[in-house]
Amino acid sequence: MRRGIGLGAIKKNKYEQEKYKDKGNEIQENQFEQMTKQLEVFKVNLEEFATKHKNEIRKNSEFRKQFQEMCASIGVDPLSSGKGFWSVLGIGDFYYELAVQIVEVCLATNAKNGGLISLDELRTRLIRARGKNKSHQEISKDDLIRAAKKLKIFGSGFNVIPMGKDKYMVQSVPGELSMDHSVILQQAEKNNSCLSVSYLEQVLKWEKERGEKALEHMVNQGLAWIDLQNCKDKMYYFPSLFTACINSTN
Amino acid sequence: MPEVDIEWPWQYNFPPFFTLQPHPETRSKQVAAWKSLILEYCEKNKIYVIDVRESSQGPLFYNSTINRKLEQSVILSILSELQKTDNSAPVDKLNNRWEIYWHTLEEWASMIYDYVLGQGIQNSVLTLHELVQGEDTAEEMFFGMNQEVLLKVLRLLEKDRKCEVILEDDVQGVKFF
Repeated sequence: MRRGIGLGAIKKNKYEQEKYKDKGNEIQENQFEQMTKQLEVFKVNLEEFATKHKNEIRKNSEFRKQFQEMCASIGVDPLSSGKGFWSVLGIGDFYYELAVQIVEVCLATNAKNGGLISLDELRTRLIRARGKNKSHQEISKDDLIRAAKKLKIFGSGFNVIPMGKDKYMVQSVPGELSMDHSVILQQAEKNNSCLSVSYLEQVLKWEKERGEKALEHMVNQGLAWIDLQNCKDKMYYFPSLFTACINSTN
Repeated sequence: MPEVDIEWPWQYNFPPFFTLQPHPETRSKQVAAWKSLILEYCEKNKIYVIDVRESSQGPLFYNSTINRKLEQSVILSILSELQKTDNSAPVDKLNNRWEIYWHTLEEWASMIYDYVLGQGIQNSVLTLHELVQGEDTAEEMFFGMNQEVLLKVLRLLEKDRKCEVILEDDVQGVKFF
C-alpha cells in the first residue's frame, strides 16, 4: 500500500484520530452511565433495605454499625443528609440526638474533669441521663464515636482521642492535643491516673524537656493537676482518669 | 469531741487537691470545692471556730490515708475567700482563729428571731444558756451555738431593736421585743 503523503493523507489521519476519540468517549460515557445506573439500583436497594429494617437499625447497635459501613462503601452518609429520603428514616436524627446528649454530658462534667472524659464514663452517664423509657435503644461506643466525630464541625472544640485497645477519650474544650499528650494519657491510665516527668523519661525514654513541655501544656489546659507533696517527684494527676472522680455523681 | 463522719467529696482523696494549683481556672475550682467542704464539715460537726495552727490535728485539712495536708498559708487564703461571702471572720489579730458561719450571722439572726416569734416569748428574759443549750431548743438549728458567735448574732438583732442583751456578772441573758 502506498504510504499516505501530502495534505490529503494528513487530513485523513486526523479524521481517523478524531473518530477513535469519539468512540472512546462513547464507550466511556456508556460505562459511566451503566455504573451510575448500577449505583442507583444499589442505592434504591439500600434505601429499601433501610426502610424495611428501620426499627432494627434504630434498636440494634451492631446492626447499625454494619449499616453504616455499607453506606460508607458507596459514599452515602446518612448522617449528613438531613433532608430527603434519609431524614424520613430518622437515622440522622438518632445521631443528632446522641450528639446533643454528648455535649450535655461533657458540659455537666467539665467542672470536675476539665473537659476530658473517657468514652466509657461518657457512655455510662449518657445512658443514665436518657432514662429508662428509652432503654430499648442500646447505645454502643461505636454510635458515640460516630456522633462525637460529627461534633467536629463546630471547630476544634470536640475531639475523639484514640487511646489504643478500644479505648477513647472525648475532649470537649478547644486546644489541640498532640500525639505526645495522647501517649501521656495512655500512660497515666495505666498508672493510677498520675505520672511524673521522670516516669516519662524512664518508660518512654523521653528527654526531660519533652515530658515537661507536654505535661505543663496539659496543666495549662486545665486537664492536669499538680501534686507537690509526693516525696520524690512533682506528680501530674488527671481527674478525667481518677476513679473517684469518674464515679462521683456531681 | 468525737467527729461525725461526713461524706467526703471525691477531691478529698485526690492528692493534688492538697496542693494549691497554678492554673487559674483549675485553682478556682479547687478553692470553690474547699470552701464548700469547710462549711459542710463545720456544720456537720458543729465546729464554730477553726484554729489554723491546729489544722493538721483534725481530718479536715489532713487526709492521713493519702498522707496529704493543706498548708496553713493556703488554709488562710481559703478562709479569707469565705470571709468575702460573710461565711467566716478572723477573731484574733494574727488571723490564727477563725469563726466559721455556715449560715451567715444575718441568717442566724432571722432564724433565732423567727423561733422567738413562733414561741411567743417576746418580752421575757431568756438566759443565753437556755437559748442555745436548753431543752426547748434542742431541735433548732442554732442549738449548741458557740457563745461568741451567739453574741454577735444577738448584737445584730439589738441593732434592729429586736432584742436587748443583758450581760451582768450573774446573768447573761437576752430579752426579745
